[in-house]
Amino acid sequence: MTHQALLSEKNLQKVSTKQRIVKIIVQVMLYTFLCVMALIVVFPFYWMIISSLKSTVEYRLPVPTLFPQKIMWGNYVEAFSAANLGRLFINTVIVGVVSTLLSLVITVLSAFAFARLEFKGKNALFGALLATMMIPGELFTITNYITVNNFGWLDTYTVLIVPFLVSIFYIYLLRQNFMQIPNELYLAAKVDGTGDFKYLCKVMIPLSLPTLISITILKMMGAWNSYVWPRLVTKSEEMRLITNGLRDAFTDMSGQANIPVQMAAVAVVSFPLFLVFIFLRKYIMKGVSRSGIKG
Amino acid sequence: MVESKHKWKAWLYLAPAIVLLLIFTVWPIINTVRIAFLDGYNMLGAVGGETYEFGIKNFTDVLDEYSGFKEALINTLLLTVVTVPLSTILALLIAVCLNSIRPLQRFLQTIFFLPYVTNSIAIGMVFEAMFNIIGLSPDAASAESWGIINNIIGLFGMDPVNWINVNSGYWPNFWVMVIYIVWNALPFKILILLGGLQSINKQYYDAAKVDSTPRARVFTKITVPLLSPMLAYVVITGFIGGFKEYSSIVGIFGDDMKAVGTDHSLNTMVGYIYDALGSNEGRASAAALILFAIIFVVTMINLYVSKKKTHF
Amino acid sequence: MKVVLQNLTKVFPSRNKKSGEEVVAVNDFTFEIPDGKLIGLLGPSGCGKSTTLYMISGLQKPTGGKIFFGDDDVTELSAENRGVGLVFQNYALYPHLTVKQNILFPLQNLKGADKLPKNQMLERAYEAAKLVQIDNLMERKPSELSGGQQQRVAIARALVKMPKVLLLDEPLSNLDARLRLQTREEIRRIQKETGITTIFVTHDQEEAMSISDMIVVMKLGVVQQIGAPQAVYDDPTNLFVAKFLGTPPINVFEGEVKAEKLYVGDSAVLDVPGVADQPVYVGIRPEGFIPDANGPLTCNLSGVDVMGRDVSLVTTHESSLNPVVRSIVDADAAKNANGITVSYSLKPHKVFLFNKETEERVYFEVK
Repeated sequence: MTHQALLSEKNLQKVSTKQRIVKIIVQVMLYTFLCVMALIVVFPFYWMIISSLKSTVEYRLPVPTLFPQKIMWGNYVEAFSAANLGRLFINTVIVGVVSTLLSLVITVLSAFAFARLEFKGKNALFGALLATMMIPGELFTITNYITVNNFGWLDTYTVLIVPFLVSIFYIYLLRQNFMQIPNELYLAAKVDGTGDFKYLCKVMIPLSLPTLISITILKMMGAWNSYVWPRLVTKSEEMRLITNGLRDAFTDMSGQANIPVQMAAVAVVSFPLFLVFIFLRKYIMKGVSRSGIKG
Repeated sequence: MVESKHKWKAWLYLAPAIVLLLIFTVWPIINTVRIAFLDGYNMLGAVGGETYEFGIKNFTDVLDEYSGFKEALINTLLLTVVTVPLSTILALLIAVCLNSIRPLQRFLQTIFFLPYVTNSIAIGMVFEAMFNIIGLSPDAASAESWGIINNIIGLFGMDPVNWINVNSGYWPNFWVMVIYIVWNALPFKILILLGGLQSINKQYYDAAKVDSTPRARVFTKITVPLLSPMLAYVVITGFIGGFKEYSSIVGIFGDDMKAVGTDHSLNTMVGYIYDALGSNEGRASAAALILFAIIFVVTMINLYVSKKKTHF
Repeated sequence: MKVVLQNLTKVFPSRNKKSGEEVVAVNDFTFEIPDGKLIGLLGPSGCGKSTTLYMISGLQKPTGGKIFFGDDDVTELSAENRGVGLVFQNYALYPHLTVKQNILFPLQNLKGADKLPKNQMLERAYEAAKLVQIDNLMERKPSELSGGQQQRVAIARALVKMPKVLLLDEPLSNLDARLRLQTREEIRRIQKETGITTIFVTHDQEEAMSISDMIVVMKLGVVQQIGAPQAVYDDPTNLFVAKFLGTPPINVFEGEVKAEKLYVGDSAVLDVPGVADQPVYVGIRPEGFIPDANGPLTCNLSGVDVMGRDVSLVTTHESSLNPVVRSIVDADAAKNANGITVSYSLKPHKVFLFNKETEERVYFEVK
């Protein structure tokens, strides 16, 4: 075999200068592209916030202003009353907290049974449950709508909470986490005379805290963002959740709607989510990268 | 695993989940299939003691020209076929770029994840506002403001578009939905793809470097193939999500699923199911089964293709 | 092509930001690798041998110093433009490509005047595959190959572009013992046949000694000794090199030189003309012991390991720094060794003295 042609002294210089220039150009292009995309991603949030603080007159200026000339906090007050946000906020918090707590209990118990206890048909049952995850939720909604009607649950908190307490995905997530805890710990606890339940509370739960936090956040966000089910099963305005109120209060699309107030309401609904995002992003990202299920 | 003398105990732990699952998951599967095949089944009638014939009338009703299912199906298909490739390619580009920078990487990654933690109805309303024309009538010169998006495209010398207002066309409506859905779909896809990129062994890139591989070839011959399992995952979940599209459109256009003062419906399959619920559960069930079948078939095709393309 | 390293230095910023301590991976390495030789970079993990290899490849940039290929200064050149072949420790074969596609990959990157027509590329790929004897596996995927076969594919991929320099990073570490012996002969053969200057990195001294034309022993970023394997073994410059080379390892004792005599314990075991009085470390190669009933060095016998033609006597001695003192002696000579103790006289050229402070070699005249 012969060697590749050598680079001459002059070429060497050229090549090393060229490779440096190419590197800089590529970096500039990367950052430009990313920053432009980041601006596009952030723009709706920016627009929501500045619009919510503008007066109607300012909002309607032919050339939009990029920052409110006069900050109108009053829009937020108006938003609260226009969409009955206060009442709906309380509803949503009640539904969110209760359903999250109950859901956590059920999830922990079932995940423990599937991860650590031995019983006939365990794997078959677990497999069957996983299989149901393939079915679109709308298929369940239809019969569940009929069922809760027959139970006479319409317009109650129960109907907003109970049907979605069990999430097979959360059970799956937690079971996987439980399985990673070495079996020796369980055997050691048995030898020490620790009961299953105590072991669950004292060992398994503390060790799986990050997953439990992920589940809590996703479940709370689910309540906050749920729209379809509450709309189906609540007839009275007072029993609806915050997202319903938001959409229903602002349906005027004639071009005359008071958009600053509307944006103020949207901002109110979005604000808790931002807080969650800022402080708990890590847990959400972890949960999401294993799921792909929103809420 | 430990042999427990008290096997019934496991069932005690499972009891709450099982009871709820029987009522709200298992029974619906059986019942939805059952009522899909009961001609003209309707909840109130059933409570009142009406009985229904076994048959396939619900399915023929769904597929009937005037039921609106065809429009919903076409809307859903169009949206899915356009948004899934668009958002996947965009997310891939962003993820690859993010993966090849050092400073600001984490900051930008956080920014790109931001749309994930949002309320799709609420932000839909923001998009509605951004595309909205403010004023009496978009046709008249009396429009007070063309809206921020029209202002922005005006900077590039384009004429304002009547995106979503009275008399707006189907395609402007459609593209507003596409833009919102893609915007909404990006964070999840970027997260997954970036995770995938970061788990690719760096030595493949070193090997390519030593062999003087051009950037474009590294991307097409190394990055994309090695990322293909993640790409398949993102595409499959994207398709499933696309076929179930509903609340994004409610966010922009409201429950009516169409722009005010227009005739074309922007309804989707899921919207069709919800519309039928409350009046004709049989038809809703039939439509849900059809949706399930479509998702199932598309997922299987996806899995088959991705298995062919990604095995190594 | 000869490769010249001139004051090559690599400093890594500290991983722990608070302490701010920098890590000097390679310190002031100067060495000229002659054209067409096989060089082994040898040292324990963390000695900077891999970093040196990566700097030669261009994947890592030196903090200081220069690298020349022939007469060309390539220090500023990135890996893409150096034209080296690199075989990674875990081979880095593209898992989605077949063996053939993997080997073709570097050729398909050639541009401009170097660009080859398709049939020539294939010809070259098969030529490289034949050289490493895998031309019957061309359609397989890497996952369908054994470790040894993957290794060969990696070498073929590095060779196919006819590199100026071939670099191998721990080429044998992922292979089982039997395959390792076979593959190292193979590497030697391929290197001889192609005549490409080859540098490989290993922590296994036996491997380095058996195939290299020259070895470079490194420790904590600093070159300890450079030379032909036998020369380094026979004449280590310091205690580290002496300990690092050889199996079974060299036996080290505490000793003292008094009046040009070497004392281990209380007995004078060897004449060491020309050495001033001082405490020393005494290194004795296992083959440096001669069983001799009247020998000056007496050890307590604790066992005999039979190794066929030779036997290894396992003994203990109070001045030894190793838990046991191992000697390798003729099987016949060992027949007498059935007592509680065994006495040796020593082969002077197998005994090395080291300064107790610096651990540098203290030379004496061998008569």
